[in-house]
Amino acid sequence: MDAASEHRLLERCREGDEQAFRELVERYKRLVFALVARSITDRGRAEEVAQDVFVRVYRGLPSFRGESRISTWIYRIVVNVLIAERRQPVTEPLEGTGEVPREFGAADRQFDEMTLRDRMEKALQRLPTNYQVLVNGHYLKGMQYEELAAALNLPLGTVKTHLHRAKRQLRHLLETEYR
Amino acid sequence: MRCEDLDELIEALADGEPVTPDAQAHVAGCASCQARVELARAVDRLLLAREVPAPPEAFTAQVMRRVQQERWRVEQFVDAGFNVAITAGFLVALSGVVGLLWSFGWFSVDVGTVATAVTTFAPWTRELASQAQTLIIGVALLSSALALWWWVEGETV
Repeated sequence: MDAASEHRLLERCREGDEQAFRELVERYKRLVFALVARSITDRGRAEEVAQDVFVRVYRGLPSFRGESRISTWIYRIVVNVLIAERRQPVTEPLEGTGEVPREFGAADRQFDEMTLRDRMEKALQRLPTNYQVLVNGHYLKGMQYEELAAALNLPLGTVKTHLHRAKRQLRHLLETEYR
Repeated sequence: MRCEDLDELIEALADGEPVTPDAQAHVAGCASCQARVELARAVDRLLLAREVPAPPEAFTAQVMRRVQQERWRVEQFVDAGFNVAITAGFLVALSGVVGLLWSFGWFSVDVGTVATAVTTFAPWTRELASQAQTLIIGVALLSSALALWWWVEGETV
């Protein structure tokens, strides 16, 4: 979607055109739902939270100045909603556990992918929300580094660094707590 | 180079990014670090292969319903505020007019006549009759407010 058509869609939404807002929901629902559902395992709750995102988008339309892309703005709302949703305190520091990871033996390497996937999903839930959404967004294939950088208000290089840190923390969790 | 020093480079190695010859040499001779790189690659593969959760069929309709509720709530709030303000203003003005008429003696209710009319019904009507003036004014104010409300609602539909 180019900037001009994005602007037109926004204007129509602001004028109260219901059909325009429906188009906006249709356009971004897959991205929003995927990001939310990957962070909230309860499917029903994920649906409610994804709807909340769009209700917030609707409420925020009058004050959205259009200085960033709609997707960037929506992504930021997703992060905020997920942070608000995630009430339990983050138990993992951003820079990792500080523990020396135990060594992996041959038996560990033979874990099948199903087991590893299950452990990884659990470990993902332990990541700080920002890291969690960053990883989820990046691996959805639709979210470019540039968009992530704009949404998180960080330089491009920092986003890449954060992504590495997020994956490192995920690996640490797998090596220590989810073996 | 120690394994701890290499920890920060594991993801870069897994992604195939260039690292220092020192780091490469360490990994080549360290089974533990090789396992870490392998784990990082496996995580990467699994993250890529994760199923993308799709929204339910009715998702857009559900969102639109909530948006309509939101809009309705906002409109109700604005309407209610407007109605309260208008009604309050009107009631104050009406009270002023009634008070003025009352002070000039152009507006009064004969309590005795009202009392005679209601004595046949029940003893409690006497109590009611003594409040007749207040009640009449109250009913008049309420009717005015309701009429105004009806008119405002009719205008906004």
